[in-house]
Amino acid sequence: MISAQGLTRRFGDRAAVTDLSLSVPEGAVLGLLGPNGAGKTTTVRLLTCLLSPDAGSALVAGHDIATDPQAVRRSVGLLTESPGLYKRLSVWQNLLLFAQLHEVAKPEEKAQRYLSLMGLWDRRKDLAGTLSKGLAQRLALARALVHEPPALFLDEPTAGLDPEAAREVRILMEELRSEQRAVILCTHNLPEAERLCDRIVVLNTRSVSEGTPQELKLRMFGARTVVRLARPQPELAPALRDLPFVKEAESSDGELSVEMEKAETHNPELVRHLVEMGAEILHVLPQERTLEDVYLKLMEDEDAA
Amino acid sequence: MRLRTLLLKEWEEARRIKMVIYGVVFLPLFMLGLAVLMAWQARDLPLEAQAVMLNTSLLYFVILPIMIPLSIAVYAIVGEKEQGTLEPLLATPLTETELFMGKGLAAVIPALIITWLTYGAFLAVTWALLGAIPEGVLSAPWLASVFLLSPLLAMFAVLVTVLVSSRTTDPRAAYQFSSLALLPALVPLIVYSTQLTAVSLTLVAVEAAVLIALNAVILYVAVRLFRRESILTRWR
Ligand SMILES: Nc1ncnc2c1ncn2[C@@H]1O[C@H](COP(=O)(O)OP(=O)(O)OP(=O)(O)O)[C@@H](O)[C@H]1O
Ligand SMILES: [Mg+2]
Repeated sequence: MISAQGLTRRFGDRAAVTDLSLSVPEGAVLGLLGPNGAGKTTTVRLLTCLLSPDAGSALVAGHDIATDPQAVRRSVGLLTESPGLYKRLSVWQNLLLFAQLHEVAKPEEKAQRYLSLMGLWDRRKDLAGTLSKGLAQRLALARALVHEPPALFLDEPTAGLDPEAAREVRILMEELRSEQRAVILCTHNLPEAERLCDRIVVLNTRSVSEGTPQELKLRMFGARTVVRLARPQPELAPALRDLPFVKEAESSDGELSVEMEKAETHNPELVRHLVEMGAEILHVLPQERTLEDVYLKLMEDEDAA
Repeated sequence: MRLRTLLLKEWEEARRIKMVIYGVVFLPLFMLGLAVLMAWQARDLPLEAQAVMLNTSLLYFVILPIMIPLSIAVYAIVGEKEQGTLEPLLATPLTETELFMGKGLAAVIPALIITWLTYGAFLAVTWALLGAIPEGVLSAPWLASVFLLSPLLAMFAVLVTVLVSSRTTDPRAAYQFSSLALLPALVPLIVYSTQLTAVSLTLVAVEAAVLIALNAVILYVAVRLFRRESILTRWR
């Protein structure tokens, strides 16, 4: 469980995070999206007691970040922006060190378990400095997990990895998801966020928008249906707008894009009306919006504001 | 327990760094060689002149507790910065005191052990070469320098290196700036080693008092520098 209310942190005159509230229940993944400098890393550092907030409060795994930072650090796993491995120590030594610093019951057993889980057991004797970026990231992930923390923070886990390595890390994260832990994931990779996150907070020093990926899409674009016509019939759009359940209708190049309150229930009615109006329909499709569309539109609105 | 874990990690890393090995192995051997050479050359001189030459030998034994911690501490701090390991380390239950003590002791403990071993080797070698340990080498000022000044010098060296290293990401630069900053600590002894009388207890006492005062001041600053917040926002 992670929850925060009104978190605020400034660096000198610059606000890094302002009045941010969020909540991540056990077993859920919250995505933090936002442009460079939006305050994602700062948020993670506040919640892992690496920095203290200027205002606001937060509970992480039941511990107050202001009054019990030591207990918070015991309960969090952190994958930092850069892997931060001891290059001169072996893979095994790197992981065992953190298991011991967290004072887990059987450090060797845990280290072995997580090295195997990340597919690094065969490389345990190699120096961490010799690992490829993807493998280094997996070791960093093992390090964040080795004490089995109830709260996990992943700061851009796939940044800088080639597509295949990124996919492997993503698969590992998906496997972790089933476990009973609260996860906060910062990322610039929007398909990744869409796939892995239950909820999303779009951040630009303050929270710009929040919801499940689906909710965000509906909120930004509504439910849209695209009707492909055999020939351009621009006169249809104004006529559609008069229908009570249609919120918006646009026509371009033989394609009608119609926004309705509830696409699933209103589609049959829409088609019936269109046929009555003499539309020559080729096909009817739901308009798919991606999280990327949502994000880019949000950022456009931010720039305009 | 966590402190022990950190200490072992520091040493495991340090023993793989060439500059550290140079400071910890070759430098003491070199100093030992020079000190023995001085004792050898002084062997037939009258006692008064012998004591003066041996002042120079003593100087080598107070340089060691400064130079050894310097090379270890530079890498213990700049190395963490270079590798970006501070943030994950700070996200563990390791306390700020443990981190500070870990870095400090990782440098001070080997420095003292090696200084004392080198001194022991010096006694053994001169005894073997000359048939007897030279007069003065086991005197009160010598023993006070080797056993009382060394810890203070080592601590001073670590604290200065910590301050300097937190401000740079280049181990070489940290090394050089720290060496410069450490020089003043040796001035009284260097001056003294050129004098014509043997080192005295008064000099050792004055030097110790100055070091204690300096250490207290730098410790106050360094402890603040070792807060999580400062490490993440003010170290560059
Ligand atoms: N130690 C610091 N000192 C001064 N300013 C800082 C510090 N850390 C962060 N900031 C500032 O706070 C703001 C938020 O930074 P933060 O690193 O949290 O952003 P981010 O969302 O993680 O960005 P990115 O996508 O680039 O990782 C930025 O304007 C940054 O310059
Ligand atoms: Mg960041």
